Amino acid sequence: MPTSLARRILPVTAFVAASALLLSACAGTADEGAADGGGGEVVWAIEGANLAAGHMDPQTSQLDVSGMVQRVVLDSLVFQESDGSFSPWLAKDWQVSDDSTTYTFELRDDVTFHDGEPFDAEAVKANFDRIVDPETASAQAASMLGADFYEGTTAIDEYTVEVKFTQPYSPFLQAASTANLGFYSPKVLEESGEQLKAGGPGVNVGTGPFELTEYTPDQELVYNRNPDYAWGPDGAEAASFETLRVEILPEASVRAGVVESGEADLASNIPPNLAVDLPDTLTVDSVEYPGLPYSLYLNEKYGVFADEKVRQAFARGIDVDAAVEEIYFGQFPRAWSILGATTPDYDASLEDSWPFDQDAASTLLDEAGWTERDSDGIRMKDGERLSVRWIAWTPQPDDKAALGNAIQSDLAEIGFEVKREVLEPGAYNEQYNPKTFDLTDWGFSGVDGDLLRSHLHTDGFQNASQVSDPEIDALLEEGIATSDADARADVYKQLQQWNAEYTAIVPLYSPSLITAYNDTVSGLEYDLYGRPLFYEVTVG
Amino acid sequence: MKPLLVRLAGLAASVIVVLWGAATLAFLAFRVIPGDPVSVMLGPQAQVSDAVKDGIRAELGLDRPALEQYLSYLGQLAQGNLGESYQLRMPVTEVIGRQLGSTLQLTALALVLAVVLALVLALFVRGRVGRGIVAGAELVVLSSPVFWIGLLLLSVFAFGLGWFPVSGTRNPATIVLPAVTLALPVAALLGQVLRDGIEAAERQPFATTVRARGAGQVRLTAHHTLRHGAAGALTLTAYLVGSLLGGAVLVETVFARPGLGRVTLAAITDRDLPVITGIILFSAMVFVVVNVVVELLHPVLDPRQRRASRIAVGELRR
Repeated sequence: MPTSLARRILPVTAFVAASALLLSACAGTADEGAADGGGGEVVWAIEGANLAAGHMDPQTSQLDVSGMVQRVVLDSLVFQESDGSFSPWLAKDWQVSDDSTTYTFELRDDVTFHDGEPFDAEAVKANFDRIVDPETASAQAASMLGADFYEGTTAIDEYTVEVKFTQPYSPFLQAASTANLGFYSPKVLEESGEQLKAGGPGVNVGTGPFELTEYTPDQELVYNRNPDYAWGPDGAEAASFETLRVEILPEASVRAGVVESGEADLASNIPPNLAVDLPDTLTVDSVEYPGLPYSLYLNEKYGVFADEKVRQAFARGIDVDAAVEEIYFGQFPRAWSILGATTPDYDASLEDSWPFDQDAASTLLDEAGWTERDSDGIRMKDGERLSVRWIAWTPQPDDKAALGNAIQSDLAEIGFEVKREVLEPGAYNEQYNPKTFDLTDWGFSGVDGDLLRSHLHTDGFQNASQVSDPEIDALLEEGIATSDADARADVYKQLQQWNAEYTAIVPLYSPSLITAYNDTVSGLEYDLYGRPLFYEVTVG
Repeated sequence: MKPLLVRLAGLAASVIVVLWGAATLAFLAFRVIPGDPVSVMLGPQAQVSDAVKDGIRAELGLDRPALEQYLSYLGQLAQGNLGESYQLRMPVTEVIGRQLGSTLQLTALALVLAVVLALVLALFVRGRVGRGIVAGAELVVLSSPVFWIGLLLLSVFAFGLGWFPVSGTRNPATIVLPAVTLALPVAALLGQVLRDGIEAAERQPFATTVRARGAGQVRLTAHHTLRHGAAGALTLTAYLVGSLLGGAVLVETVFARPGLGRVTLAAITDRDLPVITGIILFSAMVFVVVNVVVELLHPVLDPRQRRASRIAVGELRR
């Protein structure tokens, strides 16, 4: 008599169930092993979805995440302290020529890369030369290195290196302190430079406190302690824990979940709506990004924004406080200026200088001649509707869409129509490049006020407002050429005040990098961008 | 022997036509979508001069006439050369290869779980009330987004009970929750089709005959009606392999697993044509293979088709 199918299936089912049990049993032991493992381990959950798409190399990538994770591998010439000043790192000392065109660095002579290669003047030259090489197609580092102003790097002797610019370039020290201008082993540049974007152990080889030892794209990066490290910023030496495990978790609620359950020690890129719900047992640090806040760029060369009064009315007609408070759960401050409050040279006097005021906005529009109304209540002038077209880049997160809606409904109340088009990148560029739009949006992080040059200079590569004013160009050029800190501060304050009146850019809010961590880690610090630094971290 | 050879030749020809069609569609789609591919590849806010952009364009051959690009693209494919990823500067076979394993593990385990679950439910749940409850549960699972099921399982079994870790390569148990997430909707669909088939067969006269011979319910299902139900379910399984690969995109994102889904998503947003082509060709290949296997399995399951197969290959008859 043949056995029934059910009976034949039963053992299979039992086997599957048993294996599942066994697997979960393994899970238990593995966790316990990690908890008391020698040397200690820090598990760090990040968003990181883009890393596997060729963004493992901060020298070529323009994404924050690239420098955020690879900072533990890449050291820089100088370190920027939290107050914005610079201290020695791989360079013991440095001189800037009076005209800010020549920077001479005296390097430490005791630094080695993870592959044993020595760090010297030639290594600096090899890295900088690679960044500016057009074939590298660097999307940010090359421009931080001065782009067209970069003349070249010369090794004066084994441990002295000179970087020259064709014109004064004062933002260079700040640039030199970032991971984007960090150093790879010259041997790697020569033998496997092509693989740096894809990244991996034995490829992303630097001098940092950790060495990349395992990389599973879209899943995790494992960094192991560099025991020889003795050249950290502010005297930092080899890390006190053995392994830094970076888990790539694109889903925000999962990042919040793992740090809450203790599976991760810390989690970064936590969105504000989840940050407010985290339990009190976690420490939540929110560090505001310096730079240009998330803003709207009003294109003055296309349509109705040619009129300054219309631009001012647009800015005054938006209830920024209410929208930002509501959408970001009070976690992100609204912005008043084109430099964020944590950026050096921020002008605090602009706070509350252009509050939400529908009456003032209406008066401005009346003065500009937009007095008639059509059947929808939209203002008209000479048969033309007061309507602007906003182009937005996909993917469009919910918060940006909500903010867009709030702005649309606020302005509709004063008879100002805003049409918002969410465009796929290719379609966006088709409108963006010929500048056939009224407004668009983004934020831009950076520590040096010179970032305004790309947004407001006639030749700025992301001058979406199409500002073209010889006085502004002259100010921006003065800012880049002046090495005196006070004189520079004055330049950037003038620029901020100019925009508050002229309204080429409408700043909305300053996002923060929110990091939550368990009491298993202590000594966590942040760089000026809010990215965690692990030099002094201890576990346990 | 001869009919077999003819059949094999026909099969090979159809595979080539399918692959050529898929490759051509991929190429056309890449050209039709608006925007400059080089700007998109570089990503938002890339600070790159036009000279560098032109250099990239020339290097990738994007500055040549469309027809010339198409022919050299087909020529390369014909030699089995999928090219190099624009973004990663790595051979496409390697890009796909390094992520293929985890997707295969995930989808294979999910398929096994789904089939087991569907069979168990079809075999052991009987009676009006029992089947009603199962049908209701299936409907709920089918109507819920995979994304949401995943988050629900995570918050209960990973964050709440702590039975399973969320991610990481160290621990094989990380595959359990994603596989269950992917398996549940598939099991629900399979279960519905299977039960429909079984119920239909149970209403037929032969079922009464079998019962009259003294067979129990289990024997009736296992030896007779299950075959009827399975024919439809088998055809569906082939289709489901495709949807499993698609569903992997969401599951891989929620559970932070590496895999083809994530590669596909990144390749599409970054306009990485060689990678997109590679994945399209691979999926086309998978579909062709699965369909052939299903066709071959049908006669095994349904004796009536063994005779019919000489006349019309693979046509389902009930």
